Amino acid sequence: MERNFIIAGFGGQGVLLAGTILANSFMLAGKNVTWYPCYGAEMRGGTVNCEIVVSNEEVSSVHKKDTDYALVLNQQSFDKFVERVKSGGTIVANSTLVAETRPRADIEYVFVPMGDLANELGTSKVTNMVALGVLSSVVEVVDKEFLALGFEKVMGEKKKDLLPLNKKALESGFGAVSLV
Amino acid sequence: MNTSEKVLIKGNYAIAQAAVNAGCQCYFGYPITPQTEIGEYLSSEMPELGRAYVCAESELAAINMVLGATATGVKAMTTSSSCAVALMQEALSYACGDELPVVLVNVMRAGPGLGYIYPAQGDYNQAVYGGGNGDYKIVVLAPSNVQECIDYTYRAFYLAQKYRNPVILLADGLLGQMMEPASFGEYPYPEVDISSWALTGAKNRAARAIYSVGPNEKKHIQHVYDLFEKFETIKKNETTFEEFQVEDADLILTAFGSMTRNIKAAMRLLREKGLRVGCFRPITLSPFPHERISELALKGKKFMVVEMNMGQMFKDIKYAVGDKSQVSLLNRPCGEWLSVDEIVEAVLEEVKNVARV
Repeated sequence: MERNFIIAGFGGQGVLLAGTILANSFMLAGKNVTWYPCYGAEMRGGTVNCEIVVSNEEVSSVHKKDTDYALVLNQQSFDKFVERVKSGGTIVANSTLVAETRPRADIEYVFVPMGDLANELGTSKVTNMVALGVLSSVVEVVDKEFLALGFEKVMGEKKKDLLPLNKKALESGFGAVSLV
Repeated sequence: MNTSEKVLIKGNYAIAQAAVNAGCQCYFGYPITPQTEIGEYLSSEMPELGRAYVCAESELAAINMVLGATATGVKAMTTSSSCAVALMQEALSYACGDELPVVLVNVMRAGPGLGYIYPAQGDYNQAVYGGGNGDYKIVVLAPSNVQECIDYTYRAFYLAQKYRNPVILLADGLLGQMMEPASFGEYPYPEVDISSWALTGAKNRAARAIYSVGPNEKKHIQHVYDLFEKFETIKKNETTFEEFQVEDADLILTAFGSMTRNIKAAMRLLREKGLRVGCFRPITLSPFPHERISELALKGKKFMVVEMNMGQMFKDIKYAVGDKSQVSLLNRPCGEWLSVDEIVEAVLEEVKNVARV
Protein backbone atom coordinates (compact mmCIF):
# COMPACT_ATOMS: atom_id res chain seq x y z
CA MET A 1 0.00 0.00 0.00
CA GLU A 2 1.51 3.29 -1.11
CA ARG A 3 0.73 6.55 0.72
CA ASN A 4 1.99 10.00 -0.10
CA PHE A 5 2.31 13.16 1.93
CA ILE A 6 2.89 16.77 0.96
CA ILE A 7 4.35 19.08 3.59
CA ALA A 8 4.21 22.76 2.70
CA GLY A 9 4.72 26.16 4.25
CA PHE A 10 6.82 29.34 4.16
CA GLY A 11 10.50 29.00 3.46
CA GLY A 12 11.98 29.02 7.01
CA GLN A 13 9.21 27.09 8.73
CA GLY A 14 11.26 23.90 8.59
CA VAL A 15 9.12 22.20 6.00
CA LEU A 16 11.93 20.35 4.21
CA LEU A 17 13.42 19.36 7.56
CA ALA A 18 10.06 18.05 8.77
CA GLY A 19 9.83 16.02 5.56
CA THR A 20 13.34 14.69 6.06
CA ILE A 21 12.54 13.64 9.63
CA LEU A 22 9.31 11.99 8.49
CA ALA A 23 11.17 10.13 5.72
CA ASN A 24 13.84 8.99 8.20
CA SER A 25 11.15 7.78 10.58
CA PHE A 26 9.74 5.61 7.80
CA MET A 27 13.19 4.28 6.92
CA LEU A 28 13.88 3.43 10.57
CA ALA A 29 10.52 1.66 10.73
CA GLY A 30 11.74 -0.58 7.90
CA LYS A 31 9.55 0.85 5.16
CA ASN A 32 10.46 1.94 1.65
CA VAL A 33 10.36 5.70 1.33
CA THR A 34 11.18 8.47 -1.12
CA TRP A 35 11.48 12.18 -0.30
CA TYR A 36 11.23 14.71 -3.09
CA PRO A 37 11.43 18.50 -2.76
CA CYS A 38 10.07 21.23 -4.93
CA TYR A 39 13.22 22.71 -6.35
CA GLY A 40 14.33 25.48 -8.59
CA ALA A 41 13.31 29.08 -8.81
CA GLU A 42 11.73 29.33 -5.36
CA MET A 43 11.44 32.84 -3.95
CA ARG A 44 12.46 33.95 -0.49
CA GLY A 45 9.27 34.37 1.48
CA GLY A 46 7.48 32.11 -0.96
CA THR A 47 6.13 28.65 -0.26
CA VAL A 48 8.22 25.54 -0.21
CA ASN A 49 7.09 21.94 -0.18
CA CYS A 50 8.25 18.37 -0.27
CA GLU A 51 6.57 15.10 -1.02
CA ILE A 52 7.12 11.86 0.89
CA VAL A 53 5.96 8.54 -0.48
CA VAL A 54 5.96 5.51 1.79
CA SER A 55 5.28 1.96 0.72
CA ASN A 56 5.72 -1.62 1.82
CA GLU A 57 6.76 -2.35 -1.75
CA GLU A 58 9.16 -0.48 -3.99
CA VAL A 59 8.11 3.18 -4.17
CA SER A 60 6.82 4.05 -7.63
CA SER A 61 6.56 7.62 -8.76
CA VAL A 62 7.18 10.77 -6.81
CA HIS A 63 6.13 14.08 -8.36
CA LYS A 64 2.53 12.91 -8.17
CA LYS A 65 -0.32 15.20 -9.05
CA ASP A 66 -2.40 14.37 -5.97
CA THR A 67 -1.77 13.34 -2.39
CA ASP A 68 -3.30 11.25 0.39
CA TYR A 69 -2.26 13.71 3.09
CA ALA A 70 -1.31 17.38 3.02
CA LEU A 71 0.34 19.01 6.03
CA VAL A 72 0.20 22.77 5.49
CA LEU A 73 1.74 25.41 7.72
CA ASN A 74 0.55 28.62 6.03
CA GLN A 75 -2.46 29.98 4.15
CA GLN A 76 -0.88 29.94 0.68
CA SER A 77 -0.04 26.27 1.07
CA PHE A 78 -3.56 25.49 2.24
CA ASP A 79 -5.03 27.27 -0.78
CA LYS A 80 -2.69 25.52 -3.17
CA PHE A 81 -2.79 21.97 -1.81
CA VAL A 82 -6.41 21.66 -0.66
CA GLU A 83 -7.15 21.15 -4.36
CA ARG A 84 -4.59 18.36 -4.63
CA VAL A 85 -5.76 16.15 -1.78
CA LYS A 86 -7.29 12.92 -3.08
CA SER A 87 -10.97 12.41 -2.48
CA GLY A 88 -11.20 10.82 0.98
CA GLY A 89 -7.77 12.22 1.91
CA THR A 90 -6.92 14.55 4.77
CA ILE A 91 -5.51 18.04 5.02
CA VAL A 92 -3.83 18.92 8.32
CA ALA A 93 -3.44 22.66 8.77
CA ASN A 94 -1.70 25.06 11.14
CA SER A 95 -4.68 27.17 12.20
CA THR A 96 -2.34 29.77 13.74
CA LEU A 97 -1.81 30.95 10.16
CA VAL A 98 -4.59 29.21 8.24
CA ALA A 99 -8.25 30.26 8.30
CA GLU A 100 -10.60 27.38 9.19
CA THR A 101 -12.46 26.99 5.92
CA ARG A 102 -13.70 23.78 4.31
CA PRO A 103 -13.86 24.40 0.56
CA ARG A 104 -14.37 20.72 -0.35
CA ALA A 105 -16.82 18.24 1.10
CA ASP A 106 -14.98 15.07 0.03
CA ILE A 107 -11.89 15.40 2.24
CA GLU A 108 -11.16 15.48 5.98
CA TYR A 109 -9.89 18.61 7.74
CA VAL A 110 -7.76 18.80 10.87
CA PHE A 111 -7.02 22.29 12.19
CA VAL A 112 -4.54 22.67 15.04
CA PRO A 113 -2.90 25.96 16.14
CA MET A 114 0.58 24.54 15.73
CA GLY A 115 2.32 27.92 15.86
CA ASP A 116 0.63 28.78 19.17
CA LEU A 117 1.52 25.39 20.65
CA ALA A 118 5.12 25.92 19.61
CA ASN A 119 5.18 29.37 21.18
CA GLU A 120 3.83 27.87 24.41
CA LEU A 121 6.97 25.71 24.41
CA GLY A 122 9.03 28.86 24.08
CA THR A 123 9.83 29.09 20.39
CA SER A 124 8.01 29.07 17.06
CA LYS A 125 11.01 27.16 15.67
CA VAL A 126 9.45 23.88 16.78
CA THR A 127 6.23 24.47 14.80
CA ASN A 128 7.35 21.81 12.34
CA MET A 129 7.80 19.23 15.11
CA VAL A 130 4.38 20.08 16.58
CA ALA A 131 3.04 19.57 13.06
CA LEU A 132 4.64 16.12 12.81
CA GLY A 133 3.18 15.27 16.21
CA VAL A 134 -0.27 16.19 14.91
CA LEU A 135 0.33 14.10 11.81
CA SER A 136 1.28 11.07 13.94
CA SER A 137 -2.02 11.23 15.78
CA VAL A 138 -4.04 11.54 12.57
CA VAL A 139 -2.24 9.07 10.28
CA GLU A 140 -1.72 5.51 11.43
CA VAL A 141 1.45 4.85 9.45
CA VAL A 142 3.20 7.84 11.09
CA ASP A 143 4.69 6.86 14.46
CA LYS A 144 5.86 9.44 16.97
CA GLU A 145 8.50 7.16 18.52
CA PHE A 146 10.08 6.70 15.10
CA LEU A 147 9.73 10.45 14.47
CA ALA A 148 11.85 11.08 17.58
CA LEU A 149 14.41 8.57 16.30
CA GLY A 150 14.25 10.25 12.90
CA PHE A 151 14.95 13.60 14.54
CA GLU A 152 18.01 12.15 16.30
CA LYS A 153 19.25 10.63 13.06
CA VAL A 154 18.90 13.88 11.12
CA MET A 155 20.30 16.21 13.78
CA GLY A 156 23.19 13.97 14.77
CA GLU A 157 25.34 14.00 17.89
CA LYS A 158 26.13 17.70 17.76
CA LYS A 159 22.55 18.83 18.23
CA LYS A 160 21.53 16.18 20.75
CA ASP A 161 20.66 18.87 23.29
CA LEU A 162 17.72 19.91 21.10
CA LEU A 163 16.05 16.52 21.47
CA PRO A 164 14.09 17.07 24.73
CA LEU A 165 12.40 20.25 23.46
CA ASN A 166 11.57 18.68 20.10
CA LYS A 167 10.18 15.58 21.79
CA LYS A 168 7.94 17.87 23.83
CA ALA A 169 6.82 19.53 20.60
CA LEU A 170 5.94 16.13 19.13
CA GLU A 171 3.94 15.24 22.26
CA SER A 172 2.20 18.60 22.22
CA GLY A 173 1.10 18.09 18.62
CA PHE A 174 0.15 14.48 19.26
CA GLY A 175 -2.08 15.41 22.18
CA ALA A 176 -3.65 18.42 20.50
CA VAL A 177 -6.04 16.70 18.11
CA SER A 178 -8.35 15.23 20.74
CA LEU A 179 -8.64 18.69 22.27
CA VAL A 180 -9.84 20.28 19.03
CA MET B 1 29.92 6.45 4.70
CA ASN B 2 31.75 3.35 3.56
CA THR B 3 29.37 1.00 5.32
CA SER B 4 26.42 -1.25 4.82
CA GLU B 5 24.27 0.98 7.04
CA LYS B 6 21.27 2.47 5.29
CA VAL B 7 21.15 6.24 5.16
CA LEU B 8 18.50 8.53 3.77
CA ILE B 9 20.40 10.40 1.08
CA LYS B 10 19.80 12.54 -1.98
CA GLY B 11 20.66 11.05 -5.37
CA ASN B 12 23.14 13.83 -6.09
CA TYR B 13 25.00 13.34 -2.81
CA ALA B 14 24.88 9.57 -3.32
CA ILE B 15 26.59 9.91 -6.70
CA ALA B 16 29.19 12.23 -5.20
CA GLN B 17 30.02 9.96 -2.26
CA ALA B 18 30.05 6.90 -4.53
CA ALA B 19 32.61 8.66 -6.74
CA VAL B 20 34.74 9.27 -3.65
CA ASN B 21 34.46 5.59 -2.66
CA ALA B 22 35.30 4.51 -6.21
CA GLY B 23 38.60 6.33 -5.88
CA CYS B 24 37.83 9.35 -8.04
CA GLN B 25 40.94 11.52 -7.67
CA CYS B 26 39.79 14.56 -9.64
CA TYR B 27 36.45 16.29 -9.99
CA PHE B 28 35.97 19.08 -12.49
CA GLY B 29 32.60 20.70 -12.89
CA TYR B 30 30.49 23.73 -13.43
CA PRO B 31 27.23 24.23 -11.51
CA ILE B 32 23.85 23.67 -13.12
CA THR B 33 20.48 22.68 -11.66
CA PRO B 34 19.42 19.94 -10.93
CA GLN B 35 22.86 18.44 -10.18
CA THR B 36 24.70 21.25 -8.38
CA GLU B 37 24.78 19.33 -5.07
CA ILE B 38 27.32 16.90 -6.56
CA GLY B 39 29.88 19.66 -7.00
CA GLU B 40 28.88 21.25 -3.71
CA TYR B 41 29.51 17.99 -1.84
CA LEU B 42 32.81 17.28 -3.56
CA SER B 43 34.06 20.86 -3.09
CA SER B 44 34.50 20.10 0.61
CA GLU B 45 35.06 16.34 0.48
CA MET B 46 37.80 16.18 -2.17
CA PRO B 47 40.25 18.72 -0.67
CA GLU B 48 39.89 17.03 2.73
CA LEU B 49 41.04 13.78 1.16
CA GLY B 50 43.90 15.49 -0.64
CA ARG B 51 42.16 15.03 -3.98
CA ALA B 52 41.45 17.61 -6.67
CA TYR B 53 38.28 19.69 -6.94
CA VAL B 54 38.12 22.39 -9.58
CA CYS B 55 35.10 24.55 -10.29
CA ALA B 56 35.96 25.11 -13.94
CA GLU B 57 35.22 28.28 -15.88
CA SER B 58 32.89 26.40 -18.23
CA GLU B 59 31.58 22.93 -19.04
CA LEU B 60 33.94 22.82 -21.98
CA ALA B 61 36.88 23.35 -19.66
CA ALA B 62 35.55 20.81 -17.14
CA ILE B 63 35.26 17.91 -19.56
CA ASN B 64 38.63 18.66 -21.14
CA MET B 65 40.21 18.70 -17.68
CA VAL B 66 38.74 15.22 -17.21
CA LEU B 67 40.35 14.14 -20.47
CA GLY B 68 43.69 15.45 -19.27
CA ALA B 69 43.42 13.82 -15.85
CA THR B 70 42.28 10.43 -17.13
CA ALA B 71 45.19 10.40 -19.61
CA THR B 72 47.47 10.12 -16.59
CA GLY B 73 45.59 7.03 -15.41
CA VAL B 74 43.74 8.54 -12.46
CA LYS B 75 40.00 8.25 -12.04
CA ALA B 76 38.27 11.54 -12.82
CA MET B 77 34.72 12.71 -13.28
CA THR B 78 32.59 15.62 -14.34
CA THR B 79 28.87 16.04 -13.79
CA SER B 80 26.38 18.28 -15.48
CA SER B 81 22.90 18.51 -16.91
CA SER B 82 21.35 18.32 -20.37
CA CYS B 83 22.00 21.66 -22.10
CA ALA B 84 25.47 21.81 -20.55
CA VAL B 85 26.27 18.21 -21.46
CA ALA B 86 25.51 19.33 -25.01
CA LEU B 87 28.58 21.54 -24.75
CA MET B 88 30.74 18.49 -23.94
CA GLN B 89 29.98 16.43 -27.02
CA GLU B 90 33.15 17.30 -28.92
CA ALA B 91 35.29 16.19 -25.99
CA LEU B 92 33.36 12.90 -25.70
CA SER B 93 34.20 12.08 -29.31
CA TYR B 94 37.85 12.84 -28.55
CA ALA B 95 37.73 10.73 -25.38
CA CYS B 96 36.45 7.77 -27.39
CA GLY B 97 39.08 8.29 -30.05
CA ASP B 98 41.79 8.71 -27.41
CA GLU B 99 40.36 5.79 -25.41
CA LEU B 100 40.18 7.75 -22.18
CA PRO B 101 38.23 6.42 -19.16
CA VAL B 102 36.08 9.49 -18.70
CA VAL B 103 33.13 9.33 -16.30
CA LEU B 104 30.35 11.81 -17.01
CA VAL B 105 27.14 12.10 -15.02
CA ASN B 106 24.16 13.72 -16.71
CA VAL B 107 21.31 14.57 -14.33
CA MET B 108 18.76 15.30 -17.04
CA ARG B 109 16.47 18.32 -17.14
CA ALA B 110 14.06 19.41 -19.82
CA GLY B 111 15.11 20.60 -23.27
CA PRO B 112 15.55 21.51 -26.03
CA GLY B 113 17.81 24.52 -25.66
CA LEU B 114 17.89 25.98 -22.19
CA GLY B 115 14.61 24.17 -21.52
CA TYR B 116 13.83 24.16 -17.83
CA ILE B 117 15.14 22.73 -14.59
CA TYR B 118 12.49 20.09 -13.99
CA PRO B 119 13.30 16.47 -14.75
CA ALA B 120 12.97 14.84 -18.18
CA GLN B 121 14.45 11.96 -20.17
CA GLY B 122 15.17 13.87 -23.35
CA ASP B 123 18.89 13.09 -23.54
CA TYR B 124 18.58 9.43 -24.46
CA ASN B 125 19.69 10.20 -28.02
CA GLN B 126 22.38 12.59 -26.84
CA ALA B 127 23.88 9.94 -24.55
CA VAL B 128 23.35 6.81 -26.65
CA TYR B 129 24.01 8.20 -30.12
CA GLY B 130 26.09 11.21 -29.13
CA GLY B 131 26.54 14.64 -30.62
CA GLY B 132 30.23 14.35 -31.39
CA ASN B 133 31.83 13.66 -34.76
CA GLY B 134 32.88 10.35 -36.19
CA ASP B 135 32.16 6.73 -35.33
CA TYR B 136 32.18 6.18 -31.61
CA LYS B 137 30.16 4.61 -28.85
CA ILE B 138 29.78 5.47 -25.20
CA VAL B 139 28.69 3.14 -22.43
CA VAL B 140 25.48 4.50 -20.88
CA LEU B 141 24.07 3.33 -17.53
CA ALA B 142 20.58 4.39 -16.40
CA PRO B 143 19.79 4.15 -12.66
CA SER B 144 16.19 4.05 -11.43
CA ASN B 145 16.62 4.79 -7.72
CA VAL B 146 19.14 6.22 -5.29
CA GLN B 147 20.71 2.84 -4.49
CA GLU B 148 21.39 2.33 -8.18
CA CYS B 149 22.87 5.83 -8.40
CA ILE B 150 25.54 4.46 -6.04
CA ASP B 151 25.89 1.02 -7.65
CA TYR B 152 26.12 2.35 -11.19
CA THR B 153 28.53 5.13 -10.28
CA TYR B 154 30.83 2.37 -9.02
CA ARG B 155 30.24 0.44 -12.22
CA ALA B 156 30.86 3.51 -14.38
CA PHE B 157 34.34 4.01 -12.92
CA TYR B 158 35.16 0.33 -13.33
CA LEU B 159 33.90 -0.03 -16.91
CA ALA B 160 35.56 3.22 -17.99
CA GLN B 161 38.98 1.93 -16.96
CA LYS B 162 38.38 -1.69 -17.90
CA TYR B 163 37.61 -0.76 -21.50
CA ARG B 164 39.35 2.63 -21.72
CA ASN B 165 36.09 4.16 -22.87
CA PRO B 166 33.89 7.03 -21.65
CA VAL B 167 30.91 6.03 -19.54
CA ILE B 168 27.84 8.19 -18.96
CA LEU B 169 25.65 7.76 -15.90
CA LEU B 170 22.30 8.97 -17.21
CA ALA B 171 20.19 10.07 -14.23
CA ASP B 172 17.48 12.72 -14.13
CA GLY B 173 16.35 15.57 -11.90
CA LEU B 174 13.99 13.28 -10.07
CA LEU B 175 16.81 10.95 -9.02
CA GLY B 176 19.19 13.81 -8.33
CA GLN B 177 16.80 15.57 -5.99
CA MET B 178 15.06 12.69 -4.25
CA MET B 179 16.18 11.14 -0.98
CA GLU B 180 15.89 7.41 -0.43
CA PRO B 181 17.41 4.89 1.97
CA ALA B 182 20.57 3.49 0.41
CA SER B 183 23.81 1.94 1.51
CA PHE B 184 27.27 2.48 0.07
CA GLY B 185 29.01 -0.76 0.97
CA GLU B 186 32.53 -0.99 -0.43
CA TYR B 187 33.60 -0.22 -3.99
CA PRO B 188 33.02 -3.74 -5.35
CA TYR B 189 35.36 -3.85 -8.34
CA PRO B 190 39.06 -4.69 -8.68
CA GLU B 191 41.51 -1.92 -9.59
CA VAL B 192 42.33 -1.97 -13.29
CA ASP B 193 45.98 -2.04 -14.35
CA ILE B 194 46.58 1.14 -16.34
CA SER B 195 50.37 0.90 -16.44
CA SER B 196 50.56 -0.11 -20.11
CA TRP B 197 49.08 3.11 -21.45
CA ALA B 198 48.82 5.87 -18.82
CA LEU B 199 50.99 8.97 -19.18
CA THR B 200 52.90 8.78 -15.95
CA GLY B 201 56.25 10.24 -16.99
CA ALA B 202 58.72 8.48 -19.31
CA LYS B 203 61.40 7.86 -16.71
CA ASN B 204 62.97 4.43 -17.38
CA ARG B 205 60.64 3.68 -20.26
CA ALA B 206 59.97 4.77 -23.84
CA ALA B 207 57.89 7.92 -24.33
CA ARG B 208 54.17 7.55 -25.02
CA ALA B 209 51.51 9.74 -26.51
CA ILE B 210 47.72 9.52 -26.46
CA TYR B 211 45.90 10.79 -29.53
CA SER B 212 42.85 9.71 -31.46
CA VAL B 213 44.67 9.06 -34.72
CA GLY B 214 47.98 9.52 -36.48
CA PRO B 215 48.13 11.21 -39.91
CA ASN B 216 48.24 7.79 -41.50
CA GLU B 217 45.27 6.43 -43.39
CA LYS B 218 45.97 2.76 -42.79
CA LYS B 219 46.52 3.28 -39.07
CA HIS B 220 43.40 5.42 -38.84
CA ILE B 221 41.17 2.84 -40.47
CA GLN B 222 42.59 0.13 -38.23
CA HIS B 223 42.07 2.31 -35.15
CA VAL B 224 38.35 2.68 -35.88
CA TYR B 225 38.03 -1.05 -36.54
CA ASP B 226 39.79 -1.73 -33.24
CA LEU B 227 37.47 0.64 -31.41
CA PHE B 228 34.44 -1.14 -32.81
CA GLU B 229 35.86 -4.54 -31.95
CA LYS B 230 36.15 -3.21 -28.41
CA PHE B 231 32.53 -2.04 -28.48
CA GLU B 232 31.52 -5.56 -29.58
CA THR B 233 33.36 -6.99 -26.58
CA ILE B 234 31.60 -4.49 -24.32
CA LYS B 235 28.27 -5.49 -25.84
CA LYS B 236 28.99 -9.16 -25.27
CA ASN B 237 30.21 -8.73 -21.68
CA GLU B 238 28.38 -5.78 -20.23
CA THR B 239 24.87 -5.54 -21.72
CA THR B 240 22.50 -5.63 -18.76
CA PHE B 241 18.76 -5.41 -18.32
CA GLU B 242 16.07 -6.34 -15.85
CA GLU B 243 12.84 -8.11 -16.68
CA PHE B 244 9.82 -8.98 -14.59
CA GLN B 245 7.14 -11.54 -15.37
CA VAL B 246 7.82 -11.48 -19.11
CA GLU B 247 7.49 -15.24 -19.57
CA ASP B 248 3.69 -15.40 -19.66
CA ALA B 249 3.18 -11.74 -20.64
CA ASP B 250 1.15 -10.64 -23.67
CA LEU B 251 2.28 -7.04 -23.27
CA ILE B 252 5.64 -5.86 -21.98
CA LEU B 253 5.92 -2.37 -20.51
CA THR B 254 9.34 -0.92 -21.26
CA ALA B 255 11.06 2.06 -19.68
CA PHE B 256 14.49 3.27 -18.65
CA GLY B 257 15.78 5.16 -15.62
CA SER B 258 13.35 6.44 -13.02
CA MET B 259 10.30 5.62 -15.17
CA THR B 260 11.07 1.96 -14.45
CA ARG B 261 9.50 2.43 -11.02
CA ASN B 262 6.18 3.43 -12.52
CA ILE B 263 5.91 0.61 -15.04
CA LYS B 264 6.66 -1.90 -12.28
CA ALA B 265 3.89 -0.46 -10.10
CA ALA B 266 1.52 -0.37 -13.10
CA MET B 267 2.37 -4.00 -13.86
CA ARG B 268 1.42 -5.03 -10.32
CA LEU B 269 -1.97 -3.29 -10.63
CA LEU B 270 -2.64 -4.74 -14.09
CA ARG B 271 -1.73 -8.24 -12.89
CA GLU B 272 -4.30 -7.80 -10.11
CA LYS B 273 -6.84 -7.07 -12.85
CA GLY B 274 -5.90 -10.38 -14.46
CA LEU B 275 -3.92 -8.95 -17.38
CA ARG B 276 -0.74 -10.71 -18.38
CA VAL B 277 1.62 -7.74 -18.34
CA GLY B 278 5.39 -7.84 -17.87
CA CYS B 279 8.18 -5.28 -17.57
CA PHE B 280 11.47 -4.86 -19.35
CA ARG B 281 14.07 -2.32 -18.44
CA PRO B 282 17.46 -1.85 -20.10
CA ILE B 283 20.12 -0.93 -17.53
CA THR B 284 22.78 -0.31 -20.15
CA LEU B 285 21.19 1.95 -22.76
CA SER B 286 24.40 1.51 -24.68
CA PRO B 287 25.11 -1.31 -25.37
CA PHE B 288 21.36 -1.76 -25.78
CA PRO B 289 19.80 -5.21 -25.22
CA HIS B 290 18.37 -5.47 -28.75
CA GLU B 291 18.80 -9.25 -28.87
CA ARG B 292 16.69 -9.98 -25.80
CA ILE B 293 13.90 -7.71 -27.05
CA SER B 294 13.96 -9.42 -30.47
CA GLU B 295 13.72 -12.76 -28.71
CA LEU B 296 10.67 -11.67 -26.74
CA ALA B 297 9.07 -10.11 -29.83
CA LEU B 298 9.58 -13.37 -31.69
CA LYS B 299 7.39 -15.03 -29.05
CA GLY B 300 4.62 -12.64 -30.10
CA LYS B 301 4.82 -10.32 -27.12
CA LYS B 302 3.71 -6.73 -27.71
CA PHE B 303 5.63 -3.79 -26.27
CA MET B 304 4.58 -0.46 -24.82
CA VAL B 305 7.39 2.06 -24.32
CA VAL B 306 6.86 4.58 -21.52
CA GLU B 307 9.25 7.53 -21.47
CA MET B 308 9.52 11.25 -20.67
CA ASN B 309 10.57 12.40 -24.14
CA MET B 310 9.08 12.35 -27.61
CA GLY B 311 9.91 8.69 -28.24
CA GLN B 312 13.68 8.31 -28.21
CA MET B 313 14.13 4.81 -26.74
CA PHE B 314 10.96 3.90 -28.66
CA LYS B 315 13.05 3.85 -31.85
CA ASP B 316 15.51 1.34 -30.40
CA ILE B 317 12.72 -0.93 -29.23
CA LYS B 318 11.03 -0.60 -32.61
CA TYR B 319 14.29 -1.53 -34.33
CA ALA B 320 14.72 -4.58 -32.11
CA VAL B 321 11.12 -5.71 -32.54
CA GLY B 322 11.09 -5.11 -36.31
CA ASP B 323 8.04 -6.69 -37.93
CA LYS B 324 7.96 -9.52 -35.41
CA SER B 325 5.45 -7.80 -33.12
CA GLN B 326 3.92 -4.41 -32.26
CA VAL B 327 5.25 -1.46 -30.29
CA SER B 328 3.27 1.47 -28.93
CA LEU B 329 4.43 4.62 -27.17
CA LEU B 330 3.14 6.37 -24.06
CA ASN B 331 5.07 9.57 -23.51
CA ARG B 332 5.21 13.21 -22.48
CA PRO B 333 8.13 15.53 -23.26
CA CYS B 334 8.66 16.69 -19.67
CA GLY B 335 6.82 17.96 -16.58
CA GLU B 336 4.81 15.72 -14.30
CA TRP B 337 6.05 12.13 -14.55
CA LEU B 338 3.62 9.77 -16.32
CA SER B 339 1.73 8.38 -13.36
CA VAL B 340 1.05 4.75 -12.55
CA ASP B 341 -2.66 5.41 -13.16
CA GLU B 342 -1.99 6.88 -16.60
CA ILE B 343 0.03 3.83 -17.56
CA VAL B 344 -2.68 1.49 -16.29
CA GLU B 345 -5.32 3.43 -18.25
CA ALA B 346 -3.24 3.38 -21.42
CA VAL B 347 -2.80 -0.39 -21.18
CA LEU B 348 -6.52 -0.95 -20.53
CA GLU B 349 -7.30 1.23 -23.55
CA GLU B 350 -4.90 -0.73 -25.72
CA VAL B 351 -6.30 -4.05 -24.58
CA LYS B 352 -9.80 -2.78 -25.39
CA ASN B 353 -8.69 -1.82 -28.89
CA VAL B 354 -7.06 -5.18 -29.43
CA ALA B 355 -10.23 -6.95 -28.33
CA ARG B 356 -12.31 -4.93 -30.81
CA VAL B 357 -10.08 -5.96 -33.72
